Amino acid sequence: MKTMMRTFAIALTILTVASLRVDGQSHAWTPPRTPDGQPDLQGTWTNATITPLERPAELAGKPFFTEAEAAEYEKTVAERNNMDRRDGSPDADVARAYNDFWWDRGTKIVKTRRTSMIVDPPDGRIPPLTSEAQRKVAERAEYRRVHAADGPETRPLAERCVLWPTAGPPMLPSAYNNNYQIVQAPGYVMILVEMIHDARIIPTDGRPHLPSNVRQWLGDSRGRWEGNTLVVETTNFTDKTNFRGSGDTLRLTERFTRTDPGTLMYEFTVEDEASFVRPWKAEIPMVKAEGPLFEYACHEGNYGMENVLAGARAEEKRAKP
Amino acid sequence: MNRSSAAVVTVIAMLATAVPIRAHHAFAAEFDANSPIKLRGTVAKVELINPHSWIHIDVKDADGKVSRWMIEGGTPNTLLRRGFTKNSLPIGSEILVDGYRAKDGTNKANGRDIIFPDGKKIFVGGSAPDAPR
Repeated sequence: MKTMMRTFAIALTILTVASLRVDGQSHAWTPPRTPDGQPDLQGTWTNATITPLERPAELAGKPFFTEAEAAEYEKTVAERNNMDRRDGSPDADVARAYNDFWWDRGTKIVKTRRTSMIVDPPDGRIPPLTSEAQRKVAERAEYRRVHAADGPETRPLAERCVLWPTAGPPMLPSAYNNNYQIVQAPGYVMILVEMIHDARIIPTDGRPHLPSNVRQWLGDSRGRWEGNTLVVETTNFTDKTNFRGSGDTLRLTERFTRTDPGTLMYEFTVEDEASFVRPWKAEIPMVKAEGPLFEYACHEGNYGMENVLAGARAEEKRAKP
Repeated sequence: MNRSSAAVVTVIAMLATAVPIRAHHAFAAEFDANSPIKLRGTVAKVELINPHSWIHIDVKDADGKVSRWMIEGGTPNTLLRRGFTKNSLPIGSEILVDGYRAKDGTNKANGRDIIFPDGKKIFVGGSAPDAPR
């Protein structure tokens, strides 16, 4: 009986470890090292996935899909995202822009089978904005409405090729260009993002952050190694870098851990007391991808900006009696 | 499948309300939903540039007069990753474009649908499978 109990206990332990692995939390695999002895995160990675950042309301209370549910979800999203479809209003048709072959958003949910990237709060949703942050969001929306196409300065940052809302930090998947290249050198880690083509250079030599009066679109990142994990803290964002309603008080912590040869677990925590009623955290297992990254010289070919403004001027002319 | 997971699958199948992810800029701000347009022309120039590709075509009207049109597509990075190059759509190829004309009334349109005259798709499409690609 004792032997049976022990066998049962061992089996239970194995099962627990196995389930931890599914969550990507087991760090049993030892990643290779760079010549200067740091965990080697280098290579090309992709975070293309159809797992949403926030858990859809319909899936409340359900943090994980079963295999059958995952397959159904993937099928449903593939149909919804199919840009070759021509149903709906002309406005919907224009918004779909062009055929499906231009898009590259992935077709699968994350391998942990989570129903949202957000893991905390447990409901998988972004916590509510503070009343002050709500006021600022409303103010910005009103400004955009009134000054929609006054000139290039009032157009969205993405359209101006300044900042893409998902290119990060924090880095989230988008409709295409979900590719990242990590290069390491002693005292530095560089992350090249295909979308908008920013190279984020992160010192890991323990130097302090920039003075608080220096503000940058991508903030100011500092890295450090905790075991096999690269921890990056980013502050000094501008007040125009509004990630889901955040402000210049945003303090972002990212964690990069290789959990097996093909996976880079990416976690980030958003702390901004002035903007969110509580901190929140998300995770995305990034997957090894084939390179190379292609250049995204966004503003070089940004005919769209000129066309949008020309369109607005033409509409104004037509509206005049 | 038990009853509760069957119920969840039904719920998942109804999850069609999410807003689709947008391109680099709002196409509704550039092109007029009230000006659908169909063009048949020959490729004069292919600009595989970011943030959006532009295909220039020569379109002949009923009187034989030729005019140049610019057709907007997506990022070339996706196409390159799938093996498409600037030689994949040779100058002189005839294509059909179904799209919407630019709001400023110039000879520009979005390539909502771009196909060869025989109906064949020019680009092998659809979201690529997840990495490793």
